[in-house]
Amino acid sequence: MAALKESNNSGKIILSLKNINKSFGGIRALSEVSFDLRQGEIHALVGENGAGKSTLIKIVTGAYTADTGTIVFNGTIYDSLHPGQARDLGIAAVYQEFNLLPELSVAENISLGEQPLGRGGLLDLKARSARAYELLEQLGAQAHIDPNELVKYLTVGEQQIVEIAKALAINARVLIMDEPSAVLPSRDLDRLFAVIRTLRDKGHGIIYISHRLNEIFELAERVTVLKDGQTMATKVVSNTNNAELVSLMVGRPLTDMYPPKDNTPGKVLLAVQDLCVEGTVFNISFEVKTGEVVGMAGLGGSGRTTLCRALVGLGSIRSGKVLFLGKPAPKLPSKAAYAGMVLVPEDRKAYGLILNQSMRFNLALPNLSKFIHMGVLSSSAEKEAIQKTIADTQIKPPTPEISTENLSGGNQQKVVVGKWLLANPKLVIFDEPTRGIDVGAKAEIYLRIRELTRQGVGIIMASSELPELIGMSDRILVFHEGRLAGEVERRDFSEETIMLLATGTAVEEIQSQ
Amino acid sequence: MAVTVENTRERYQPSLRQWSKFFRNNTSIILIYVIILVVIGAAAILNENFRTPSNMLNILRQSIIIGLIAIGQSVVVLTGGIDFSVAQVARIVGLTVATIFAAQGSNPALILPLILLGLFIGALLGGFNGLIITRTHANPFIITFGIASILRGVNLAISTTPIRGIPDPYLRIYDFKIGIVPANVLVMIIMWVAAYVFTTRTRTGRALYAVGGSERVARLSAIRYNRTLVTAYIFSSFCAAIAGLFLLARTGVGDPSAAEGMDFQSVVAVALGGISLYGGRGSILGTLGGVLLLAALSNVFNLLQVNIYYQQLFLGLIVLITVAVYKSPRSA
Repeated sequence: MAALKESNNSGKIILSLKNINKSFGGIRALSEVSFDLRQGEIHALVGENGAGKSTLIKIVTGAYTADTGTIVFNGTIYDSLHPGQARDLGIAAVYQEFNLLPELSVAENISLGEQPLGRGGLLDLKARSARAYELLEQLGAQAHIDPNELVKYLTVGEQQIVEIAKALAINARVLIMDEPSAVLPSRDLDRLFAVIRTLRDKGHGIIYISHRLNEIFELAERVTVLKDGQTMATKVVSNTNNAELVSLMVGRPLTDMYPPKDNTPGKVLLAVQDLCVEGTVFNISFEVKTGEVVGMAGLGGSGRTTLCRALVGLGSIRSGKVLFLGKPAPKLPSKAAYAGMVLVPEDRKAYGLILNQSMRFNLALPNLSKFIHMGVLSSSAEKEAIQKTIADTQIKPPTPEISTENLSGGNQQKVVVGKWLLANPKLVIFDEPTRGIDVGAKAEIYLRIRELTRQGVGIIMASSELPELIGMSDRILVFHEGRLAGEVERRDFSEETIMLLATGTAVEEIQSQ
Repeated sequence: MAVTVENTRERYQPSLRQWSKFFRNNTSIILIYVIILVVIGAAAILNENFRTPSNMLNILRQSIIIGLIAIGQSVVVLTGGIDFSVAQVARIVGLTVATIFAAQGSNPALILPLILLGLFIGALLGGFNGLIITRTHANPFIITFGIASILRGVNLAISTTPIRGIPDPYLRIYDFKIGIVPANVLVMIIMWVAAYVFTTRTRTGRALYAVGGSERVARLSAIRYNRTLVTAYIFSSFCAAIAGLFLLARTGVGDPSAAEGMDFQSVVAVALGGISLYGGRGSILGTLGGVLLLAALSNVFNLLQVNIYYQQLFLGLIVLITVAVYKSPRSA
């Protein structure tokens, strides 16, 4: 293995970006960025949201043209690439949102660009399936993905592999993976990593973008850190560590991400008794006290998100009771929000923000009754409250009228959190509060959560990131296939205990202890 | 750091920055009023009949009824819906009131009760629209079109010929003047101001935008989705009922073809004014511009004696062009 890595490191440079500059209307997105990728190398690219990763990738795939700088591909110098050219050279990207047609089969999707034709100009279906099988075989995935299956029946992880096979179908030599792990349940991660390693060993160059630093240590040979559009450093992974990367990314050493607990939980706020949600969640009972953070762990499909949504009235509760402050909880989302039970949803674009509206509009939305004077909205009261919230939550830029679709992911999340801070909720349910947002924004969100608990707000925090659950929670409820597999107290917190419960392998063992 | 600098600048040059912001945020509204000025300017230079004060007042008067309908339509379109029953609502209100007047020997004492009845019918029909749409989650276009079709049938059943017997005092409503200001212009101004305040400065108004932007987000943000939607359709039909009552006073007879085509025209005015047909964006001020532009254009066409069929064709073109220009928010 070591020998293999050695030979990879001396592989020849396939793609090299030199002194790339790019501005958008006076705002500099990239400044003198240089980056290179060897054959048979996995080169990780990290940085906070807005650091310039996406811009750099778009310059490589030809979606953007650099202002100045050169791209050297396989020894040929280009001032810029256009998308078709990049594809012909063999540069392909796999984004978080897949470009697959769900109603078509795996084979059809893979050969969408170039359908093999047989006699008489008709599609050669056999050749198409064979080609798909061959590509899946190259990825070591022929055993569990049937080329003739419709894509909509595949899991997210399988779809991602089809997406990679599609890139291979156009002979991609450079593969860019934009946060591939963010959309995957953790059990599919190993398979993805195996596929990526296979590609590396075959001599493909891979640019791997991720917010999860431990993946980078597991997978990559080198890592480049971007900050504010500049290259901070390119490091050989074995010569660096987590703390160094984080301090390069945020520009300051991040001593403790998780602010310490500084209050004790009070009386019972929410009591869930024997709750069943249509087909996916069964017999759940638990309590949340005021000022308490209850973590919810579990693998993808374990019912966490379904439960979170059911609590605020999204989804149909089949049986069981939800008591909020001793009374049955409201069954409609609008009434739940009005009563002070709010959800900061997993998918902020679909459930958290009205994207085509301004930050002011979104922040004010659940708080309108506060700004009413004699039946009419008072814009001065609104403006004052909004400005205070923006300052409190450190949203950037602090421009109330900016459209929320133009904010970065981390700042969008701050808007969703900010609108509820303003509403003085009693119970806030965070579902994946830090998905896809950068380290700096994460720390801000954790501070806000602590602030809420200090005011006696109860918190439910469902997350697939164990470190943040362990860092923030008083107790962690672990879910497995729609059932509560166990509850872990703070003194017993460890990733191992939680994972054992979450995978359902060791329930009896732990109970017998 | 850069942020602080920007804030200071904002404080010291308020007018300049605010103007540029105003232009950026209201492009479509400014555009429509510029087009109106261009159309009116060109017509005034080219045609001497156009530039008379009485013709100008005429344009304003022509925009009253379609304006009332378009106000209601704007509110519905903001929610992401559409109300294709407005013309038939206006018609059924006029016909019902006229029929009762005729049956009761033009009794002037009935004027006030019948006006209230007309408004009530409007609100009731809007409530129907809203309830069916929120219960079935069906496309508002189909639902309101279906309701319009039913109403068209009912209207034909009421009468196929003009209904006479409207009492004189009712007819004078339309031309009644307070000082030199015609009451109908006054009502129009009041309705536009009320609609502006309603859409921009009330909770329900803000909810219209939220619902049009995203149903799910609105629901999760303590906005009562169903209530907001039903209110919008009631408001729309209510405006159509006022339009129907005015039309009856203007024509003097219960007209079985009253308000023909105004459903489509109101949508054209709304789209022209920059309210997104996908919901959630735009301003009632834009609709006012759209209404005035349509009235000015139709006035010009009439002066130039352009065939009515070409006018139809022109309206259709306008819708296609405006929809193409504003596109879907996602595809932009």
